[in-house]
Amino acid sequence: MTEKYSFSLTTFSPSGKLVQIEYALQAVASGAPSVGIKAKNGIVIAVEKKQKSPLYENHSINKVEPINSKIGMVYSGMGPDFRLLVRKARKIAVKYEYTYHESIPVSQLVQKVAAVMQEYTQSGGVRPFGVSLLIAGFDEDKPYLYQCDPSGAYFAWKATAMGKNYINGKTFLEKRYNDDLEIDDAVHTAILTLKESFDGQMTEENIEIGVASSDGFSLLEPAVVKDYLAAIQ
Amino acid sequence: MEDYRAPVEVQWSPYSWNGGTVLAVSGEDFSVIASDTRLSEGFQIYSRDFPKTYQLGDNVVLGSCGFQGDVTTLNKVIEAQLKIYDHIYQKKMSCESLAQLLSTILYTRRFFPYYTYNILAGLDSKGKGCVFSFDPIGSYEREVYRAGGSASSMLQPLLDNQIGLLNQTGVEKKPLSVEKAVQLVTDVFTSAAERDIYTGDGIRINIISADGVDIKEVPLRRD
Amino acid sequence: MANPFEYNGSAVVGMIGSGCVAIAADRRLGIQGQTIATTFDKIYPMNESLYIGFYGLATDALTVSSRLKYQLNLYQLRENRQIKPKAFMHMTSNLLYSKRFGYYFVEPVIAGLDPVTKDPYIATMDLIGCPMETKDFVVVGTCSEQLYGMCESLWKPDLEPEDLFETISQALMNAVDRDALSGWGAIVHVIEKDKVTTRTLKARMD
Repeated sequence: MTEKYSFSLTTFSPSGKLVQIEYALQAVASGAPSVGIKAKNGIVIAVEKKQKSPLYENHSINKVEPINSKIGMVYSGMGPDFRLLVRKARKIAVKYEYTYHESIPVSQLVQKVAAVMQEYTQSGGVRPFGVSLLIAGFDEDKPYLYQCDPSGAYFAWKATAMGKNYINGKTFLEKRYNDDLEIDDAVHTAILTLKESFDGQMTEENIEIGVASSDGFSLLEPAVVKDYLAAIQ
Repeated sequence: MEDYRAPVEVQWSPYSWNGGTVLAVSGEDFSVIASDTRLSEGFQIYSRDFPKTYQLGDNVVLGSCGFQGDVTTLNKVIEAQLKIYDHIYQKKMSCESLAQLLSTILYTRRFFPYYTYNILAGLDSKGKGCVFSFDPIGSYEREVYRAGGSASSMLQPLLDNQIGLLNQTGVEKKPLSVEKAVQLVTDVFTSAAERDIYTGDGIRINIISADGVDIKEVPLRRD
Repeated sequence: MANPFEYNGSAVVGMIGSGCVAIAADRRLGIQGQTIATTFDKIYPMNESLYIGFYGLATDALTVSSRLKYQLNLYQLRENRQIKPKAFMHMTSNLLYSKRFGYYFVEPVIAGLDPVTKDPYIATMDLIGCPMETKDFVVVGTCSEQLYGMCESLWKPDLEPEDLFETISQALMNAVDRDALSGWGAIVHVIEKDKVTTRTLKARMD
């Protein structure tokens, strides 16, 4: 009979906290750093992609993922959990496009993805996701940047940092951010933000950058990233 | 054990539908009758130059479409009757008489009708423009204007509106001029050719006045 | 009931003008030859600048219109914005296709202005949702041939609201007068970017 009553793992503590969610946020806070910055004409999302061993084949890992032609997503936390959310997000986006023949507004995608994440804090036999997401996209004529947490909470940002050292990252952004950044400046600032907490040499191989603009969402080629890095030195 | 075979239904239709649209308008001392020049069956165009108006006298023209086999036969019958009439009475038949004759001919085939839609236009015995429209079995009526055949349902409401001035308030009824009639005929055929695949290629317009029959040809879309 | 589309009788037209659209329908509800009502609505407002009209079986039109309104209300609450006519058209198309093998006997006409760009939009589709968008006019009804004849001759590009009203009214009235199943009055909505003008037409009642 025990399996008939498999309660949710996420159960309130006597003080009213959901400790599983706090643990999940812990997993996020110890994950690789990521940043998102909204510019005047687009959004930049960037992430550290440092490998534990030089023996890894670098191209096999992707952290910035396109959801559809206009929206991209990045994370801090657990890679495998992210992949599941990417799959769900893509399905949500495609389904919307199929029913209305127009691409899903970023806010709608975020709402639906957040609903999935919330469901995993209340269902039986599951655990919350060990990731926070940055979702960036361009709809109609405005750029949008959202963060989505394991609890299902979501926020719109002008700029934010997540993962290891995120507090420093945010402080840095608070100092550097202004309302009339161009995409180029935002890429620059994103790299500098990551650099704040970066151990060792930053190369085009160990960071990944995605840009959402009115032309759509795309990953920056390593060669392009290399040029940006060269400009910083 | 005997072999049984399911009955095979054999169907043959004595009729086919060759499309075509005719249109007649009468004025004070003239009438205009026009047809398109396409002959077709199904998705096949047999001819792009096949007017469906037939001059039967000095100032009477018949527009006839439907099953072209019946149209041709019907015309032969009419012409034979006209010839006999001419021999007996030594004169051309009037438009009104011709209309009555056509009705009678059509009704002789009450139970195996000529599959034809007919409109007769010309000048009546007083020299006024006249139009007679028929159903395939001879019911007929004198009217001011009438469309028949394939695109008739597209043309008729427009004629109601533009010539009959139906649903129009505050417009005075002016006598129709030949130019206006010809222009209207051209316009409505152009419209019909946009939507009806059995109407197109060209229009043959017969302008009937006391001077005889004047013919005008206008191209239509050919697709 | 040989053909459900000809059971109640109807005629609906949509037309594009300059910065405006019009949608018009007759007002007869019949049961085959017998007229039941002469003030029957076949056009339903979906929001301030979006209308849908139905040709076909009246009972199905009622069902489809309320299911669409239900879906649309949810959409507009969820997204906190007005739907675009094109998205609404696809919503309708999906609804009809979801009944691909047991269809509603209706052919809709959609007319509206884009809530943001104010671009005029008209479309129609068949009973299983195959869409057709045009830049001039769309017609459906038991007198669709008559309507095609009228619209093809009367319509021209860039009609101003008043001229569009006159054109669509004349097209509809003269078409239904040559059809026994539709007519008995008409209603016309002209949708402009800041207002919708609705008029009922005095027509022949036979």
